[in-house]
Amino acid sequence: MSYELNRALAARRAPLPTDAHVDAVTADIIRGAFETVCFESATYLGRAASSPIINQSNERNAAIVDAHGRLAMGAVGTPHLTFVNQMETRWGLMNQERYDWGPGDVFLANDPDHGGGHLPDYCVYAPVYDAQGKLVCIQTLQAHQGDTGGKDPGGFSLDATDLFTEGVIYPCLKLVHRGELRRDVFDAVVRNNRFATFGGDIAAMIGGVQHAVAMLDRLVEKWGADVIRAAINQSIAQTERRVREEVAKWPDGTHEATVFIDHDTAGTRDVRVHVTCTIAGDQLTVDLTGTDDRPELVGVWNTFANTRSYVMCQVVAAMDPTIVKNEGYFDAVEIVVPEGCIAQPPPNKPAALGSFHPACEITEAVCIALSHVAPERSQPQLYKIGMPNMVVGFDDDGMMWMDQGVDCRSMDVSAVAGLDGWGSCPSALGSLILSEAEDAESRFPILNISREMTTDGGGAGQWRGAPGSLNVKQVLKPTSATAWMVSAEHPLSGMCGGDDAIPYTNRFEVGSPAERPILHTAQDLLPAGAVIAYQHGGGGGFGPALRRDPESVKEDVLDEYVSPEAARAKYGVVLTGRLEDYTLAVDHAATQALRAQMAA
Amino acid sequence: MAYRVGIDIGGTFTDFALLKGDEVVVHKNLSTPEDRSLGVMEGLGRLAEQEGLSLPDFLSRCDAIVHGTTVADNTLIEMNGALTGLITTEGFRDEIEYRRGFKEDIWDVRLEPPRQITPRRRRLTVPERVLHDGSVHRALDEDALREACRKLRLQNVEAVAISFLFSFVNPDHERRAHEIVRQEIQNAYVCASHEVLPRAPEYDRTSTTVVNAYVGPRVTGYLEKLVQRLADGGYRRQLMVMQASGGVMSRDYIEGAPIRVLASGPAGGVIGSAHCGAAKGCPNLLCVDMGGTSYDMSLVIDGQAPAEAGWNMHHRYLVGVPMVKVETLGAGGGSICHVNGGMLQVGPRSAGSEPGPICYGRGGTEPTVTDALVMLGILSTDQGFAGGSFTLSRKGVVEAFRALARDLGHANDKQGANDEQGAEQAAFDCWRVVNAAMSQGVRRTTAGKGIDPRDLVMLAYGGNGPAFAAIQAEELGIEKVLIPKASPTFSALGTLVANPTIDEERSYIASSAALDLDRIRALWSQLCERADRHFSAAGFSPGSVQASYQLNMRYPGQNFSLSFPVEGDAPLHDLGFVDEGFPARAITLFNARHMAEYGHVRENEVPEISGVRLAARVETPSPKAAGGFVSKGPPPPPQRTRRANLGRGFAMVPIHSGRSLSPGMELQGPAIIEETFTTIVVYPGWTAQVDDAGDYQLVRC
Repeated sequence: MSYELNRALAARRAPLPTDAHVDAVTADIIRGAFETVCFESATYLGRAASSPIINQSNERNAAIVDAHGRLAMGAVGTPHLTFVNQMETRWGLMNQERYDWGPGDVFLANDPDHGGGHLPDYCVYAPVYDAQGKLVCIQTLQAHQGDTGGKDPGGFSLDATDLFTEGVIYPCLKLVHRGELRRDVFDAVVRNNRFATFGGDIAAMIGGVQHAVAMLDRLVEKWGADVIRAAINQSIAQTERRVREEVAKWPDGTHEATVFIDHDTAGTRDVRVHVTCTIAGDQLTVDLTGTDDRPELVGVWNTFANTRSYVMCQVVAAMDPTIVKNEGYFDAVEIVVPEGCIAQPPPNKPAALGSFHPACEITEAVCIALSHVAPERSQPQLYKIGMPNMVVGFDDDGMMWMDQGVDCRSMDVSAVAGLDGWGSCPSALGSLILSEAEDAESRFPILNISREMTTDGGGAGQWRGAPGSLNVKQVLKPTSATAWMVSAEHPLSGMCGGDDAIPYTNRFEVGSPAERPILHTAQDLLPAGAVIAYQHGGGGGFGPALRRDPESVKEDVLDEYVSPEAARAKYGVVLTGRLEDYTLAVDHAATQALRAQMAA
Repeated sequence: MAYRVGIDIGGTFTDFALLKGDEVVVHKNLSTPEDRSLGVMEGLGRLAEQEGLSLPDFLSRCDAIVHGTTVADNTLIEMNGALTGLITTEGFRDEIEYRRGFKEDIWDVRLEPPRQITPRRRRLTVPERVLHDGSVHRALDEDALREACRKLRLQNVEAVAISFLFSFVNPDHERRAHEIVRQEIQNAYVCASHEVLPRAPEYDRTSTTVVNAYVGPRVTGYLEKLVQRLADGGYRRQLMVMQASGGVMSRDYIEGAPIRVLASGPAGGVIGSAHCGAAKGCPNLLCVDMGGTSYDMSLVIDGQAPAEAGWNMHHRYLVGVPMVKVETLGAGGGSICHVNGGMLQVGPRSAGSEPGPICYGRGGTEPTVTDALVMLGILSTDQGFAGGSFTLSRKGVVEAFRALARDLGHANDKQGANDEQGAEQAAFDCWRVVNAAMSQGVRRTTAGKGIDPRDLVMLAYGGNGPAFAAIQAEELGIEKVLIPKASPTFSALGTLVANPTIDEERSYIASSAALDLDRIRALWSQLCERADRHFSAAGFSPGSVQASYQLNMRYPGQNFSLSFPVEGDAPLHDLGFVDEGFPARAITLFNARHMAEYGHVRENEVPEISGVRLAARVETPSPKAAGGFVSKGPPPPPQRTRRANLGRGFAMVPIHSGRSLSPGMELQGPAIIEETFTTIVVYPGWTAQVDDAGDYQLVRC
């Protein structure tokens, strides 16, 4: 629990010792089998869990970590979780005797100061041994939990000054000993959670991991542990080689980017993230030197493991998507994070909100820096959402329910060279299945009024960002609502000359005398009937708007992604005819003249 | 004699299976893409001729003509359906574009969006709102609706989907809107979500309704034309049509929701497999169909191919109607083998049938799986192979694999010292990679279902399936593989086997501790009345209908419900079982089902009901299939031997002709059996047997 520990956890791990030789095809076949194990494990959890955040939102990830703590295989799930789990298992690996590791054990970890992401991301993992009792690998399963047993329901405290405020911390807790559930431990973990469905979720996570371990045991038996070790070594080396080949194709150079968060949860303004990407031959270095380190900041501390993961999410997006996601990425890319800055906080800092911001500003800055060398892949993989309107109430038994605000919506889908932003979120979040009005209203006293895209809500550009949506809902009973607003003064950046996205805004008690904008934070008790309206920022544009094909602008106006006014003002396109009867046409001569005038 | 005819139209061939008594006659002729009903009539004419009857005589003796069509699938593949508009609840215009956030590839920021069936300009909203309990929160604004119709009319829409929130609880607004749209936009095809998919949530229902509107005019137009031709020809009964759920139903019923025929082709194959497997004493099957471009996998459990109504993504649109689950992998005979970033990959790009694999000699230059089989000696390049229609050639094949070997770096290995050996090694690597991909695909098919592949029997069909079947079975721990001789016309046979079925559900979300039994009775009564009406219209007596009353239940908070029968085999309208003990029984049955699926139950939680479902069907005559194996001595000696690699290095392998084998014969691997349309590989450690019905089975020694 120190910078020293962080250094030890992040240190490069050696390949597994093995005398076996394995050819490339066999190695890849074994990798495919590992991937299927992860798929089964995550599928098991998704179907058996009861919290909407797991079974609807799919916010989960299964991975296999090798005996040295290297990511051997990440699978279905959220990329932002994929690249963090190996750090948590490393703490356990460094303490196998202390925690009496053995076959049939299952552990729980969530400690931000021992390799964890943030407290709500519970990582359940289990070691796999060969016939000689030698450790081969570890199956992990992570899922975001709706509560962590801290001061505030939901695990996010706007005013938390330390980690203990946020909830119960597990560096490495044994849930199952040699195949037997430790009932006392299990009950204590379940008791320290407000969520009525948590017991079922944690049971489903244990079941999912055990299911995977049984499959891995069969693979070890079939191929032999040494062949599997050799296959893991080869797969990781292969990824490192391919990443380096991609980097080598980029011109050498240094690219810097600075992104600001509007304010921390206490109101301190302009929190800064600074990234320098250096390309030298086949070496990419991502350096966060220059990132804010003011000790008085509140709520904007991102854990070290999470910072590494969010950097990697964006690096991966910039590369050939067929490269296998494993430790080879970390072996190929150097990540420098100054100790004490908001991307590597001192011990015991609260960490829950840091996974939103500055985590997402880190990906954004990496994206801006890399947009100079990989413009065709420069879509930021993030959520600039602050903390959306999380609505919480209690049922007749005093147990909490939460409409967590992951409703269907559109946000932050930026364009890349040659492709407009589309869908409802950046690619990396495409396995999260968003919540529907008919499900939510059948469960919670909520009425969804509207959630359409806002015309002109996407950043203009040669390729256009997807418009953000305005989500309006009404609470039908007195309900508490929590929010932290960012990305209004500093909205999502456009790329390579494209316009920025529109700002995020939020209003409570819309249409009543108490109507008010939420400019900073809110933790309010709303009366029955109150309406809240959350405007999501859209995606950023790519390239100068004046270069957009005028016919595409006309189509956008017909589809009301873009208003006739903005077609003229932002894109320099002059249209004739009427939108009302679909008779729009581009006046090419006038457009050319207007664009020339605007360019000058 | 009364006849039953099953017809399946594929891209190249139209297949026929004629059932007379217990006997099945099969026929094949070319499809007629410009008007597919022509090919159907041509084949029926040939069948009549073979029976020594005139077409009118033959058709008048047909009890049933059952048809599987790919017209809906083709419409979605070619994206040439009706110009479609959507009318939905104010505030919810963009659900269809959000897709609940789903993207097919989370790692590729260059993934293109799906082509929109209803671009934003044709998605119009109307003020109205029904709540989850069915009460009206805001009345339907009819003026606004007429204005929306005017805008759609201006855009010349040919089809309109109507989807309002909670219409599956209270469909009044959708019904009224349906009337108004029909008045306002004449000649348009109009459908409402409560008729197409009456369940939550809104994206699933809206997407299904939009796709229904898009394919509806083409499906109904096609069926009308076919019905007309059949009637003109002398057919007097209702045309029965295959559904994706694995049952067939009358054309009238299908036209209520044409989306039901989407993906019905593969379903027919699975139903045919289930029938065949059951007759051979194998109720639990892993069905694999390897054709030219894909490898389709499906499961049959207890003789049933379960239809699931969940997250069925088809051609990038969610289609929520019950479908026999068929998972597809882009690995077929035509799949191209290539090296990407130093790694060998097979597919998903395919050489298709034109130009096809290199060995077809039609100009293909990239090595495919079929070429690898030629290289390994598994497929013959002798004259007269594949029924004599054409001969495979090695020309260019060796060169292509030599190049692949270089890309793979085999040239530096000892084994690559010899060029020919390097090429053979590369082909063997392709064989290994495609095998592994198929095995992993199977595991993903069984994932989360609590099924262990080792408990299944594999049933392999499609031209390329039997070349890989046994080696994959071994990989998966499967002990037995069935390879029916009739497999090339399996889908047509499947339509004959499938029973007329109506499988529908209605949403009702409530805790099982507080069930409104009257409401449950009312919902099942509605479903019974619908089934009654459609079965009667199709000419079935009410007494012949068997009903399975099912519940969808889950623990509160779970997103996925489990379906199970509360009353398995009862007459329609017999709701006596919904009594005081019903809620307790439902909980017990649900917990048992949950235990079977997930291995645990939540002792302290009270599950909730999410819907009621009725699967009603009529048993119709099916072709007899038989099994059993009685050894009747050894096979004749092999015709010849060939140098081939069956996974353990090259060796001389005995080659048998399928024609020389008869029931009761068995032969040990390694061996290759050449059948007219397929090659069966008997891998070392396996035995091939010809069973009493003349079908093959492979068993582990």
